[in-house]
Amino acid sequence: MLRERFPSLGWRQLLPHLSYTFAVERISRACSHQMVRHRVASFSQQSQRYITVKRLNERVVAPPTVEDMEVFRCFVAEASEAYQTLVDAGVPKEDARFVLPNATETSLLMTMTGAALFHFYGLRCCNRAQWEIRGLADAMLAQCREAEPEIFNRAGPYCYMLGYCPEGRFTCGGMTEAVERYTPGGRG
Amino acid sequence: MRLELVAHTPNVETMIATSMLTTTSGAQPSTLYDRLLNKPDKVKEIVGRAEVQHGNILEHNRLVWLLEATDGEVLETTLDTSFLTFTKLSENKWLLSGNLRTVVEYAQRKKTPLTDALAASAKNVAPDIRFLEED
Repeated sequence: MLRERFPSLGWRQLLPHLSYTFAVERISRACSHQMVRHRVASFSQQSQRYITVKRLNERVVAPPTVEDMEVFRCFVAEASEAYQTLVDAGVPKEDARFVLPNATETSLLMTMTGAALFHFYGLRCCNRAQWEIRGLADAMLAQCREAEPEIFNRAGPYCYMLGYCPEGRFTCGGMTEAVERYTPGGRG
Repeated sequence: MRLELVAHTPNVETMIATSMLTTTSGAQPSTLYDRLLNKPDKVKEIVGRAEVQHGNILEHNRLVWLLEATDGEVLETTLDTSFLTFTKLSENKWLLSGNLRTVVEYAQRKKTPLTDALAASAKNVAPDIRFLEED
């Protein structure tokens, strides 16, 4: 709509005026902690002060590296029992939640401008980003590309957008493959 | 100074209600939004009890205006609030945008022809929020 009304404006000039809201569901609290570091955004997140965590073992995000390990499953089971014991004893949920792990699921609404989203994708689609938030960023980018291909086909990790890797000595060394992966019509 | 609303987030009050319920409900936000889309009376009731100090529930909505104003008027506004975004289109014409919280809080804080026009836009897209009612 804005592009039709203001055809002289380039896509970069439009970006700060565009707004995108995502329902981000069933991610870990570890992931949501990373998301809220993007300060130019708005968040409404499920509150553990008000929502009781029931059946914690069914409400966790398990990293592939530990999901089959006994120590992880036992810890979640014990955290679940400790939480329920505290709640049953009348401890307020805002205090009982202190025993919940970072793996606990959460859901939230997140809104960013187009400009903020480009920065989010630049950092979080990068091979160096942590796997859960990178998967989320890829899923968000796919939806943006479907809605606004002319704008968001230009978005991806910073190496894709800049033509070089800005990570310096931390570079993954896989820029060629990353650029190919994010190029529309590439190997995806 | 002349202000024309040219675009805004769809279903503004449904988004506000979804934001409010997301924090306190075990239901998923997309489920809440879909349910509320078909319940305008429920949305009105939820939005009507929103508290101004929890302004973040308004932030998921963005409004975009065509503004006709002098450079001086725009400079005064940018000095007043950091959260409105301006793009110059031509002499005395600007594309202006901001989220609903920014608009509401700016209009509450200062009374000028621009904030009056911004507040009127906000009331137009979200008639049930109480924050902009006259004292």
